Amino acid sequence: MFALALRSLRQRPGRATATLLSAFLGAAVVMTFNSLHDTAARPGVDSVSAQSLSTAAGVVGGYGTLLVFFAIASTLTVNVRQRGAEMELLRCSGATPAQIGRMVVGEAVAIALVGAVLAIGPAMLGGRALLGVFQDSGQVARSVDHSFGPVALGSGVGITVSAAAGAALLAVRRVTLRRRPRGRARTFLAYAALLVGGAAVCSTFAFSAEDAALMAPPAYGAILLSVGCALLAPRLLEGLLDRLPLAGPSGYLAVRNLRRRAAEMSGVLMPLILFTCMASATLTMQAVESDALKASGVPKSVDAKNLETLNLTVVGVIVVFCCVMLINSLYAATTYRGREFGQQRLAGATPGQVLGVVGVEGLILAVTGVFFGTLAGLAGVLAFSAVRTDSPWPGQGPGIWLAVVAVAAAVTLGTVLFTARRTLRTPAVTAVTLVA
Amino acid sequence: MFRRTSRRTNESEPAQEALRLVKVGKTYGAGESAVTALDGVSLGLARGSFTAVMGPSGSGKSTLLRCAAGLERPDSGIVRVDGVEVTGGGEAELTRFRRGRIGFVFQQYNLLPTLTVAQNTILPLKLAGRRVDRARAREILTAVGLGDRLGSLPDQLSGGQQQRVAIARALVAEPRVIFADEPTGALDSRGARDVLRLLQEAVRVHGRTVVMVTHDPLAASYADAVVFLADGRMAGRLPAPTADAVAERLAHLGDDTRVGV
Repeated sequence: MFALALRSLRQRPGRATATLLSAFLGAAVVMTFNSLHDTAARPGVDSVSAQSLSTAAGVVGGYGTLLVFFAIASTLTVNVRQRGAEMELLRCSGATPAQIGRMVVGEAVAIALVGAVLAIGPAMLGGRALLGVFQDSGQVARSVDHSFGPVALGSGVGITVSAAAGAALLAVRRVTLRRRPRGRARTFLAYAALLVGGAAVCSTFAFSAEDAALMAPPAYGAILLSVGCALLAPRLLEGLLDRLPLAGPSGYLAVRNLRRRAAEMSGVLMPLILFTCMASATLTMQAVESDALKASGVPKSVDAKNLETLNLTVVGVIVVFCCVMLINSLYAATTYRGREFGQQRLAGATPGQVLGVVGVEGLILAVTGVFFGTLAGLAGVLAFSAVRTDSPWPGQGPGIWLAVVAVAAAVTLGTVLFTARRTLRTPAVTAVTLVA
Repeated sequence: MFRRTSRRTNESEPAQEALRLVKVGKTYGAGESAVTALDGVSLGLARGSFTAVMGPSGSGKSTLLRCAAGLERPDSGIVRVDGVEVTGGGEAELTRFRRGRIGFVFQQYNLLPTLTVAQNTILPLKLAGRRVDRARAREILTAVGLGDRLGSLPDQLSGGQQQRVAIARALVAEPRVIFADEPTGALDSRGARDVLRLLQEAVRVHGRTVVMVTHDPLAASYADAVVFLADGRMAGRLPAPTADAVAERLAHLGDDTRVGV
């Protein structure tokens, strides 16, 4: 079965690109941050440098790792679901569910390994560059050399492979079970994520304003709250969809599609909510942190400036990663719908109407994602701000949030419309006969 | 522009000839690898007729159907549906042309998986912005034997049931011509018989014109006439066909083409 997995990969390299890309990027981000642990553990590193390196790796590296895990898992879930037809075919040819499972999981693990190995080089360069930023900001002594060791390698490969294998297992189970699981496990996961996330956010209050790791609990909490929201959002949306006053054939189809595709939707909502949440929360927390430092007046201008650059670099990496993952999953989910678009066209929909359906769906998705992402992010920001300053409402104004929302909406609509337009180039009759 | 013409023809009396092909040619590929799928095919079908198109694999049956149905543009020749010529234009214009004129029944059903039986049936009307007569849709679905499955999703139905939904969908839009591409290709004999009887009823009861591509002589015997196609050319016509006569003719068709080459 593993031979079959490799074979199916070789025959269709394009199909695996989305998975490979997310594994590669995820592993690169995780390895880059975790190589700071290796660097700190080198003999001869002074304690101040080691301290700032492990704090950075522990805080941002920590929640970055959690984020990467969910991002890879959600992309893979989108990808594996699309192979329902192929798995059905395998079952008809006499493959047992266990064999199909081994094939799909084997394939996912193989891709994840390749992605992780490919990421080693870039992660070394990235780690070195990151260390350079630390040294420029004066947080780490110039004499410290970058090191890429077991922690970086182990965490990068471990996270990527376990996220891939876990997502593939769950997706396969869904396909081979025959009966549609009514999502008891999903509900449990959702509430667990919300509960642990809420607890993490609350635990922020156990820290003092000067703690170096103060940003960690609200960030962890916000990620988990996002995941919980992504799992629950489709069901909450269902009730709302009935009340949407959408006239016209495109709106009619969009609403009905979204209602039936609750499970598929949460795969796309996950990166969207994570992006909105992480981008708005981490950037706002960073701004609060910078303002608080400025107000305390302890470090003098140049150092403060450098520290701000450092933190923004670190947070920026995470935010850009989220954005790429969002594009990746939207692209994968839309490409897969070529057959459905063909059926709509044969039923009498013009290409414009199909794009209209996709556009309305994208808009509803974007609004939902932004709403829940904001909710989750806000929880983290309020807790952080309440502890770091005295007021829970950050004095930043909505500038960052508005920018994040604009990017989220533009990326969502842009990706789905662009992908759908490309998909529509295939003639309708060909599109419906292509095996998905 | 097409929209206005299509509305007008919908309201006007249908033309006597539902479908007319004049010297239609279609070639795929170019140069050495070019394949001539249709080589000057001419064909006229009267309103209210049920015609089967048969021929060996690669004879151009499917291409003929696609060109006649406005899904593909022929390289040469003229296609007239209900007296109106299918002309150039983008996909959007062709789509508007097909609305109200052409209905489809495919081997793979092509029902939208997210819509219920009732919703699938009225979808073409919704897309065309036409008035939706739900009572009429229910009536037709009941007539095809699915009156109790209105709220089901396609994947909860058997193949035969899905195909009956597809026929109901084609009937509700009241098109001039219904094109069926191997409509029984994926069905068992019982399901196939139901579907073929419904296509017959579409002609006799509802007055539609049906063109069906098939490779099954038994399916073809339900039609009023069979036209044969070989190597992209017309190769005869058999009125009032029986399964045996069709099979016989088809076998010789193969001989002729081999001798011809």
